[in-house]
Amino acid sequence: MKITSKLAAVVVAVLAACGHGAGSSPDATTRLDAGVSTPDASCFDITGMAHPSHYQIINACTTADKIVKDSHPPLLNPDGSLPPLPTP
Amino acid sequence: MKRATRPLAITVVIAVTMVTAIRVASAQAVPACSSLPNVVYLQVGDTQENLMKRLGRALRDNTGHEITLAFVLNGSCTNMAQLYNKTPVTTSFFYIPSETDDPTWTPDKPSLTCTPPMGGQVIDIANMIVFPTSCPNSVPPGFVRTFTGPAQSMVMAVPRASSQTAITFEEAYFAFGFGAAGMITPWTDVTQMFIRTVTKGTILSWAAAIGVPAAKWQGQRLASSATGPCNTQVLCSLEQSAMPEAAIGILGAEVYDNDRQNLKSLAFRARDQYAAYWPDSTATSHDKKNVRDGHYTVWSPTVWMDMVDQSNDPVTPEARYVVDLITNKAPAPDPSFDIIEIESTVGLVPDCAMRVQREYDGGPLSLYQPAQSCTCRFEQVVDHTTCEACTDTCANGGVCRHGLCEER
Repeated sequence: MKITSKLAAVVVAVLAACGHGAGSSPDATTRLDAGVSTPDASCFDITGMAHPSHYQIINACTTADKIVKDSHPPLLNPDGSLPPLPTP
Repeated sequence: MKRATRPLAITVVIAVTMVTAIRVASAQAVPACSSLPNVVYLQVGDTQENLMKRLGRALRDNTGHEITLAFVLNGSCTNMAQLYNKTPVTTSFFYIPSETDDPTWTPDKPSLTCTPPMGGQVIDIANMIVFPTSCPNSVPPGFVRTFTGPAQSMVMAVPRASSQTAITFEEAYFAFGFGAAGMITPWTDVTQMFIRTVTKGTILSWAAAIGVPAAKWQGQRLASSATGPCNTQVLCSLEQSAMPEAAIGILGAEVYDNDRQNLKSLAFRARDQYAAYWPDSTATSHDKKNVRDGHYTVWSPTVWMDMVDQSNDPVTPEARYVVDLITNKAPAPDPSFDIIEIESTVGLVPDCAMRVQREYDGGPLSLYQPAQSCTCRFEQVVDHTTCEACTDTCANGGVCRHGLCEER
């Protein structure tokens, strides 16, 4: 039981550290993470990787300032996809 | 005595006045472009005006190899078509005076103008700030050669009085694709959304980034970034907006960089990205770190085109010299100035400082390693660098270039 709990905790920690796909934005507010001197938690460490994907590159660990902004536009489809543009 | 002196004094005054008038008229007269030394004709994006000014001055003063850049500003797709069709430019060109001609000229002053010959002048070089494939009829004729230059990033800017700091991919899609119906507060008033006409690289690059084709954008379509009457340019329209919270516009990053005292750029969160980033590592820095490493996705390499003859030799060797300079290909003779410094100063990122690449506008990023790095030099020019200083060799590895240990 204890081992299972520890394993679950490790899995959660790894997922949190690496990110796990589109739409997994951290929170529903706007927050400036300024002056960060160490890599942030939700990122990919691509150091030494020969061919990281686009997704890994744009979400790679960085010391740059970032703004965490999760948006839920009213017209967004329920599944999170975008509706087609209106026809003129 | 007095009678003799007075007529002489009057004669001297008249003579001095006439000489001064002739000099002023001469200085103000618009010369024929062909009368300027070693002219190369270009049609470039209006975001490249700062590059043209600084490079134009440097080339006019390029020791032993002086060149005059005569340039006009227009949209990327228009520039491409102008060269492909060899359509003569019939309007006046801009040019930059040499140090000898005008030692007081600085890049914050207007460019001078010169007149093309009767019937117009076919350009030697066309510039785009997006991939040609973003324009219609982009397949080049056989006589055109295409080269990749420094990267150009684009921003969404708001008046400094706005409280907004970031925009997401989804918000931009609905704000610019649906207008007021998109319900993206505070950007619901299309009279306060300052965009560009469909041939301009700035909107084409943003269109690819947010998935809204340029022709479908909602907003005020303006002819220029920062020139002409206020109501025809994005920069001034943002500055003068009476509704700063609702105002938003698209600009080349280097245009925005020159007006940071009046505007703010918004951090942008791309599709599938966890957080929003500025082109620079902070809202106030100039290091373009996030462009260079891929965290800021709205950028394109600038593209420079010239013409070749049937032997595949440049039709105008001086034009190729200029293209080679801009694309960091070390043309001969060595220029008497540092092109990396010029490109970095105007907000572009030299190819040798980039660490990501893409193959089309809005396309996926992959890692990139230039043959010779200039990251240290770039950082030194725009901000500061932590690279090891050197005079000849680098104790901890790397290559000594520009007095800094570059990684390769």
